Amino acid sequence: MSEKNKFSVSISEIDGIKLLYLSGFLDAHTAPLLENKISEIIRAGENKILVNFKDLDYISSAGLGVFMAFIEELRQSGGDIKMAEMKPRVFTIFDLLGFPLLFDIEKTEQDAFLKFKSSI
Amino acid sequence: MQKKNRHNNASDFVFSADFKNLEKIRSLIKHHAFKSGFNERDSDKIALAVDEACTNLIRYSFNMDNNQKIKISIDKDDKFFIVNIFDSGKPFNPLNIPKPNIKEYLLKYKKGGLGIFIIRSVMDEIEYVPSNNRNPQNTLILKKLLA
Repeated sequence: MSEKNKFSVSISEIDGIKLLYLSGFLDAHTAPLLENKISEIIRAGENKILVNFKDLDYISSAGLGVFMAFIEELRQSGGDIKMAEMKPRVFTIFDLLGFPLLFDIEKTEQDAFLKFKSSI
Repeated sequence: MQKKNRHNNASDFVFSADFKNLEKIRSLIKHHAFKSGFNERDSDKIALAVDEACTNLIRYSFNMDNNQKIKISIDKDDKFFIVNIFDSGKPFNPLNIPKPNIKEYLLKYKKGGLGIFIIRSVMDEIEYVPSNNRNPQNTLILKKLLA
């Protein structure tokens, strides 16, 4: 796998909700890329972010820290980060740290999407 | 990456202290853990702990100086799979960091400091030997009970 393919984020939008599709490995080397993407979204005035983890194979605390860094700001402005479709090996790490207490982690993208809809 | 074999069964590897190398380090640890009889899930966990330890070293002890080196030695005894991580940075004993109440910690939206918590959660024993007159390197020793 070439350097730039180790981690990637693709972004789309439905009904004012930004959908982020992560793939590859999210560690201290690649976390700044995600941090920049989320910063750009917030700077553009958006505050509802749905992260689809279906192609993410690895996350370390550097990756988890990115979500921690933005969640408070997003919630204060009435937005949120909701998560969906984690592989068991990735969910295990979130679970180890008790993240399910803090983040809305749904099985499917549709479930996470509906959570946003029901909170509007 | 350089590989050196000592007279015993341990294998030594040297990496430049660069986040780019984390993936190689994880693959290496996973490969050896798997070979030592751990299943994929536990091999992943050991690789994660080593990633967290190296990330902290690069960020805090080496201040992102890529010219520094991290030496990793992989070994086992009757009971444990053992990863020794050597560095010549500022001594930093992660075991001195108090255990956070993780629920409270998360609810305060704190960023950082999670790495040590992960290492403690997934490894069975952790030791830290700071550099001294006889040994110029700090050593973090991570042990996991053999499967």
